[in-house]
Amino acid sequence: MSRTTWRDHDWQLIHDAPQAPALHMALDEVLTDEVGAGHRPPTLRIWEWGGPAVVIGRFQSLRNEVDGEAARRHGIEVVRRISGGGAMFIEPGNTITYSICAPLSLIDGLSFQQAYAFMDAWTLEALAGLGIKAWYQPLNDIASEAGKIAGAAQAHRRGAVLHHVTMAYDIDAGKMLQVLRIGREKLSDKGTQSAVKRVDPLRSQTGLARAAVIEQMIDTFRRLHGLADGNLRDAERVRAELLARDKFAGEAWTADVA
Amino acid sequence: MTTTPSLHGEYKMPGGKLIVIDLELREGRLADVQLSGDFFLEPDAALRAIDDALDGLPADAGEATLASAVRARLPAGVMMYGISPEAVAVAVRRAIDQAPRA
Repeated sequence: MSRTTWRDHDWQLIHDAPQAPALHMALDEVLTDEVGAGHRPPTLRIWEWGGPAVVIGRFQSLRNEVDGEAARRHGIEVVRRISGGGAMFIEPGNTITYSICAPLSLIDGLSFQQAYAFMDAWTLEALAGLGIKAWYQPLNDIASEAGKIAGAAQAHRRGAVLHHVTMAYDIDAGKMLQVLRIGREKLSDKGTQSAVKRVDPLRSQTGLARAAVIEQMIDTFRRLHGLADGNLRDAERVRAELLARDKFAGEAWTADVA
Repeated sequence: MTTTPSLHGEYKMPGGKLIVIDLELREGRLADVQLSGDFFLEPDAALRAIDDALDGLPADAGEATLASAVRARLPAGVMMYGISPEAVAVAVRRAIDQAPRA
């Protein structure tokens, strides 16, 4: 395998209506596999959330990370994704999440650290265009002067790489700390628990609506790498809905690491 | 909810991620070992291979012994990012050497 460039591929954008958390997990798996099999062009997918969610990493312990009772009280769905990394707390409109499904050749020969930074170079440029000085903070974070902006995770699957990122637009930190146990401990270590009310590096540093930030990001990707508007295919949607129901909405997967 | 294992250890690997170990001790040996954390590991089945490698080891096994037991059971071509056998061994020792959780 020899290394390909962004411009060697015909990138396709999917920016669909809001979807349930379990369906997002399934779409990552289905679309990455479709790209790996050569059935769909490399894809940038922007997520819209149908409801609040906690998304834990592939290897995180459900009981160690999530206060299940608090999640139920707030009507928050808890799902496990297929990539490693840390838990994220999502409420519709409060984060910006995207997935890049690409042939593995795009990062061939790169170290993990290089591959993460490489996949998000366009994001740093989009942020710069919005006046935010941001940088990659190994292993898998995007940071700014106002603190961490985003966390990334990669998974390799049969000839493809899934690279997805969640950016904090305007997060209710109080609610997040009720639901995520580790977040609570990490913040209390720093003595900031009572002070933090919002985690809003994107909103506070741009003053822009979330949709405007997304538009700037899409424009930047299109300018740098090329990007055609696309859609989820019916067969992909059907497969993802089955997978969401049979795997990602089920206790066996979510509690796979208890 | 099943019962919570009695021993819990955490280790933030320098330059890496958080490694968490939950386990029991039975008759002086590690049991019900569960590795977890926000690290990256491929293939994902390597997680259970590591748990299995640790299950049954003597409770007084040192870090070097624990790390080599883990390394020996890793699938060929495994990729670890933010985690290492040595870091897992540190988390295991911390779990064993700390007092049980109330």
